[in-house]
Amino acid sequence: MIPQEFDYSAPATLQEALQLIAGGDRKVLAGGMSLVPLMKLRLAAPEHVVDIGRVPDLNHITETGGVVHIGATATHHDLESSPVLRGRCPLLAEAASHIGDTQVRNMGTIGGSIAHADPAADYPASLLALEAKVRLVSAKSDRTVTASDFFLDPFTTAIEPGEIVLEILVNSEEPLEGYRYEKVPHPASGFAVVGIAVRIKKSGNKISLARIGVTGLGPRAFRATQAEKLLESGADIAKAAAAVAEGQEANSDLYASADYRRQLARVWAARAITTAVSRAS
Amino acid sequence: MNISGSYVIPVSPERAYALLQDPVVLAKCMPGCDALERIGENEFHMKMKMVLASMSGLFDGKVRITEPQPYSSFRLIVEGSGKIGFMKGDGLLTLSPAENGAMVSYDGSVEVGGTIAAVGQRLLDTTSRMLIKRFFEKLTAETSASAEGAA
Repeated sequence: MIPQEFDYSAPATLQEALQLIAGGDRKVLAGGMSLVPLMKLRLAAPEHVVDIGRVPDLNHITETGGVVHIGATATHHDLESSPVLRGRCPLLAEAASHIGDTQVRNMGTIGGSIAHADPAADYPASLLALEAKVRLVSAKSDRTVTASDFFLDPFTTAIEPGEIVLEILVNSEEPLEGYRYEKVPHPASGFAVVGIAVRIKKSGNKISLARIGVTGLGPRAFRATQAEKLLESGADIAKAAAAVAEGQEANSDLYASADYRRQLARVWAARAITTAVSRAS
Repeated sequence: MNISGSYVIPVSPERAYALLQDPVVLAKCMPGCDALERIGENEFHMKMKMVLASMSGLFDGKVRITEPQPYSSFRLIVEGSGKIGFMKGDGLLTLSPAENGAMVSYDGSVEVGGTIAAVGQRLLDTTSRMLIKRFFEKLTAETSASAEGAA
């Protein structure tokens, strides 16, 4: 399959990239794992593709002042193998290791994945559980939005025309925190039929903080706040996990009906919470 | 694929019935719809540009209104086709009085075929529901705008 004709630019600096993106029907290319297949099927036919893959220093993974900065063009492999991330934000490194296959992880980027905003993508669950922020820049603006304000609808984010994802900001986890990302992959696409990201902090034997992000179940990833509150108020894991799908709209497709998805969410939430609790100390 | 659901819009069922059959209002509220042009009684030609993240496609089709039961129900049929596939939505809309206006319930089916269905099967359900949600959100915005205009 051959894409429709398009113009291609590969800017060498961020400023140049932002100038190019500011004008008209432009599409940003990072790793190309979502955009290129769509272009080849002619489901996407942008007039002008701006490749930000050659902009230097856009794939950083660094920690400063208790905050981990992850550049937009860091690949999933960069994330899963980064010593900084494995040490300071292991939940996100674990989630990255579940994405697609080796080829996809070597090319695909975190910025591209979240900008595409597939409702079954792996990252959103962890980014919500981590209360991460996304920094968006354009030629004229520079703003930061929370993950919960970023993912709006299937394939719809808070990115305004002319803006790109610059980096993702995550508070460093404390070493005593427990975490787990569990996923039921779709057998053909590898996307999450249901994906559950959990963070647990304990004080003594009690859970002092619980954060649960769920992807794949509904039209967008969400935080299971009811289940979080149950855990924090001492409810047992089975009871909290049962509340994960409570009142949620669930997707259905040929592979998994809405009811089956809700059941998967409950079962896998229980497993993810159990592991996260056992890892916390 | 079957779809059903309901929304409350802040106008009387009589007004809702008129709005939902007004080609100007429908064109404004249907996501991506450029214009509706009357080609027969209760039949309109539709041009639509769907843009969803990276994906985009032009659709050319028809909107038809059948089985009108004034102020209580009618059937809305939307068909379109383009290079990336075709779609057909057929739904019975039922109107009933609600506390803050009119409850619009829909019950029907959506068929999607071609490339877009072959690669997007996993996403058809969630995307259809999002588009219906957007339609009713716009319709609600439209009703409050027209109410202000009338006042």
